[in-house]
Amino acid sequence: MGGGLDRPSMDLAELAWLIPSLSFVAFFLIVLFGRFLPGQGAFVAILAIAAGFAMFWVVLGGFLGAECPDSFGQKTCTFNREWFTAGSVVLSWGIIIDPLTVVMLGLVTLVALMVQVYSLGYMHGESRFGWYFAVHALFVASMLALVLADNFLLLYVVWELVGVCSYLLIGFWYERRSAAEAAKKAFITTRIGDVGLLLGILLLFKEVGTFDMSTTFAAVSAGEIGEGTLTAAALLLFLGAMGKSAQFPFHVWLPDAMEGPTPVSALIHAATMVVAGVYLVARAFPIFEAAPDALIVVAAIGLITALMGATMALVVTDLKRILAYSTISHLGLMMLSLGAFGYTAAIFHHLAHGFSKALLFLGAGSVMHSMNNETDINKMGGLRRVMPITTLTFTVGALSLAGIPIFAGFWSKDEVLLAVLDHKNYLLAFALIAAFLSAMYMARALYVVFYGELKAENNHVHESPWVMLAPMAVLAVLAVIFGFVAIRITEAGGIGTFLFFNYPHGFEFNTGLGVGSIILAVGAFVLGWYIYMARRISLGPWKVRFAAAIRVVGNKYYLDDLYQWGVDRVVMAFSRFVALFDRVVINDKAVNGPGESVRRSGLNLRYHVTGRMYNYAMGMAVGAVAIAILWWVLTTST
Amino acid sequence: MPETNLTSNLHLLLPEFLLATLAFAVFAIDLLLPANRKKLLAWVSVAGLIGLLALALALLWGENEEMYGGLIKVDSYALFFKSFFILLGIFIILSSVDYVGKHLSHPGEYYGLILFSVLAMNVMAASREILTAYVALELMSFSFYIMVSYARYNPRSNEAGIKYVLIGAFSSAILLFGISMLYSTIGVTHFADISATLANAGDASPALWVGLALILVGLGFKVAAVPFHMWAPDVYQGAPLPVTAYLAVGSKAAAFALMLRLFAEAFMPSIDDWQIIVAIIAAITMTVGNLVAIAQHNIKRLLAYSSIGQVGFLLVGIAALSETSPLASNGVMLHIVGYSFTNLAVFVGIIAFFNMTGKEEIADFSGLADRHPFLAAAMAIGMFSLAGLPFFAGFTTKFYLFTAAANEGLLWLAGLAIVNSLISLYYYQVEIRHMYIQPAPDMEGKLEPASAHNPHPPPVGGGAEDASRHSPTPLIIGVLILMVLGTFFVGVYPFPIVEALDAATSAILPGAGS
Repeated sequence: MGGGLDRPSMDLAELAWLIPSLSFVAFFLIVLFGRFLPGQGAFVAILAIAAGFAMFWVVLGGFLGAECPDSFGQKTCTFNREWFTAGSVVLSWGIIIDPLTVVMLGLVTLVALMVQVYSLGYMHGESRFGWYFAVHALFVASMLALVLADNFLLLYVVWELVGVCSYLLIGFWYERRSAAEAAKKAFITTRIGDVGLLLGILLLFKEVGTFDMSTTFAAVSAGEIGEGTLTAAALLLFLGAMGKSAQFPFHVWLPDAMEGPTPVSALIHAATMVVAGVYLVARAFPIFEAAPDALIVVAAIGLITALMGATMALVVTDLKRILAYSTISHLGLMMLSLGAFGYTAAIFHHLAHGFSKALLFLGAGSVMHSMNNETDINKMGGLRRVMPITTLTFTVGALSLAGIPIFAGFWSKDEVLLAVLDHKNYLLAFALIAAFLSAMYMARALYVVFYGELKAENNHVHESPWVMLAPMAVLAVLAVIFGFVAIRITEAGGIGTFLFFNYPHGFEFNTGLGVGSIILAVGAFVLGWYIYMARRISLGPWKVRFAAAIRVVGNKYYLDDLYQWGVDRVVMAFSRFVALFDRVVINDKAVNGPGESVRRSGLNLRYHVTGRMYNYAMGMAVGAVAIAILWWVLTTST
Repeated sequence: MPETNLTSNLHLLLPEFLLATLAFAVFAIDLLLPANRKKLLAWVSVAGLIGLLALALALLWGENEEMYGGLIKVDSYALFFKSFFILLGIFIILSSVDYVGKHLSHPGEYYGLILFSVLAMNVMAASREILTAYVALELMSFSFYIMVSYARYNPRSNEAGIKYVLIGAFSSAILLFGISMLYSTIGVTHFADISATLANAGDASPALWVGLALILVGLGFKVAAVPFHMWAPDVYQGAPLPVTAYLAVGSKAAAFALMLRLFAEAFMPSIDDWQIIVAIIAAITMTVGNLVAIAQHNIKRLLAYSSIGQVGFLLVGIAALSETSPLASNGVMLHIVGYSFTNLAVFVGIIAFFNMTGKEEIADFSGLADRHPFLAAAMAIGMFSLAGLPFFAGFTTKFYLFTAAANEGLLWLAGLAIVNSLISLYYYQVEIRHMYIQPAPDMEGKLEPASAHNPHPPPVGGGAEDASRHSPTPLIIGVLILMVLGTFFVGVYPFPIVEALDAATSAILPGAGS
């Protein structure tokens, strides 16, 4: 830092800044010139992200070959340029490239590319087609900038941009009241967390005197900051992560966000919005590591979220909401993993989940596309007969998420459970329950929607166009094979030797745990078969016996109602009081008062310019004399 | 300095010689061209200036030599301003082309005068001797006196010219008087000598301080600092629009280029004596400028007062000059650059609007955003930048200036400057509100039938130019885009410019290297 360019050698990795820039440019191009372009400029966004994906490989290659210093055991390249310096305040724009950033770049660019291609088919005929792709590009660009940011200030700026874009996309069909409401809910709920994030950033700035991440982390690990402050900062940062990553009690916005177009959901759940929170905790892990109390909170919140999400996913009948609650549950697992020092496991699970969840959402979108936007799973059934490819890919995604062996989700979930076993073993039982529930609701969705008897009214349903199926196929392949990076990608070993915190570790397989989780997952599918397919087990008596519990879960634990009540009664009452105060005291007296006097003085002062020359000359003469006298007085008095 | 050196490095003045040649060439070509080909003059001037810019950069990069026994110095400071003024000349000429074709006669002399004024500005930034600086200043002023009254048949333009000449003569007299008092007391006129004398002039006669005060007054007139500003609104309003733009940007930048070098190289040792005076003038200037701007109805008068306010901000930088920190000097120059882009964005927008409608009252801009969204957007961007909102040039440059003031202990001045920025936001927003929120005054319905039997047709403009009355020409749009990009560039990524500024500052304040 300082003095411009910090360039150890000419690295291809530095070109990473191009990846978000391309999509930023695409946004402006589409907004400004989209209406003159064929297809309202959608191809610009796709070209930009495709180029970004290609650039990702260049950056990956560059990074592997680069010679950068280690930070927390990992090779970490930073490139920054001074933005401006004024006095002691140095602001710089820069990027950080370490394994975490690299894998995030890969995930985001790939999923975004798939989703955008898919959207060509899904959004076909939409009147604001161009706007959709423009915001999409901006969304992706902000997210990419977020994972590249090397200082908290830039991170915060793009963090907010991500929030704005999610608002725009969730409320894409803003003519629908529910969509507008959902967009507002998402924005406001996450904003509450953002306040925490901002406070956390400012607290760190106050302690360290810089927004730069590397410097901050170095100061943290050198023990320059008191543990109390550090815990506070970590918790404040986590508050921001909780909002974005839909952790209890901020998770309420995510299911409502289903009001947006389905590809947007895929993007939000797999590659952008909710990912940001997990990324933030991982990025700021040096701070969390130094504040074990904060990590316990992270783990606890993660566990609560995981269980809550999983139970709700089991009772809702809306296909997209099942997936949404499933995301909440899995985000909870990732946080739990981070809380249990499972840095690698969390990110690994995050990647595996990202591919699988994007795939599932695209599959759900494919179903909706063919069924007039129907999302009630009870009206579906037996769709495998009419939508074979969608069924195949969805099945892959579901098996992966459920943790069935060889699929990606199996490996990553296993790593998460292992981390919990190692560091927070008293939580293992709950984690296993969450894993079981996860398999259970996936089995339910899969059986009810795609297997069984095809309903007569669904005979007309047909497979989606290839432009939608191709991205699903790509993601499906990934959902199958991605897990093997756990074992080995290079001769050095699995993902644990590439992406780690402080200590690399090879592939570990705890046989007991592995077998146990396989039994749970397979068991869930078998149980699901008996319940939903063979109907050997009737849920009737259970529903009666646990009526109260089911009602609580079905009503989302009454959290939404609680919030609504709080907003209606408490917040609105307070707002009315503030509004009154604002109108009477602040506006009439404090703002309009000085404002009016400023305006008056302006109106009166203007008469000193009379248009008469001799007045002007007189003014100058008087001014000259005044200055001379003043000068003389000042110099003789000292 | 040995006598033999006087002419040994004359080649370093090649850009100036060629610039004068170019100006005369434009005068000459003007005589040969038929009346309908006069636009060629503009292209010749622009092409010449571009060539000169390339030449200057190639020839003078890294030079640091005195000429004529120290009257003029060719250093990175002079080169920075030389490039800046040449670029400014190019932009002014480009934005004048349509206007001159429609509203002015004798384009040859017009472009020639612009070239002469650029020449004068270059010398102003390079002079290290007070009389040389004065002569250059006068050459620039004379060019402006003529250009201000260039619309010969417009009484306002004539009035403006007369006022400018008379008050200008008055101020020149004061300036010269100040210079002679300075010379009479300390007997030197070179900046370096003045500095050396002031450094041990603790008990100098009051005449010296009177002399310095009078010099300050003379320069205060040139930059329109309060209370020497009263000519500005009248002259700005009366002058042809591109000249107003040039006056607001060019003459001010040049006067500050001179002032910055003078204060940094000559007056620095006695900063404790004049800092508070300049600070007071800065405070009064920005406050009066911004307050009175609120009450204006004419866009040119509004910008006159707004530019007075900006002068106040620049004076903050002069008051905050320091021998050890480049911040204030960088701030002044960066503000000049950012302010030029910004102000030109606004002015070029107004020129385009005036070319189409012939109007210049603030209320006439109502509904502009609907009819010409780009024009309105460019002007709005310029005004947001003038008000100092982030991401625009105005924010970054003011940040430098105010930080410099705060670092030098002038916290009250920095605070007042921030309050003033706030006030300025009000009147810029009034204009923006007109463009974006107020409905258009029924342009389509009125203009068309009226022009058929209009008793007072717009000044010139024949059938061929009718098209340009309804939409801005590509040339104007092109200049506008450049200015908007410049505004963002300075606002978002000023680093490359600041690097050049560091070099310039180290030329005039050797101790302030960053």
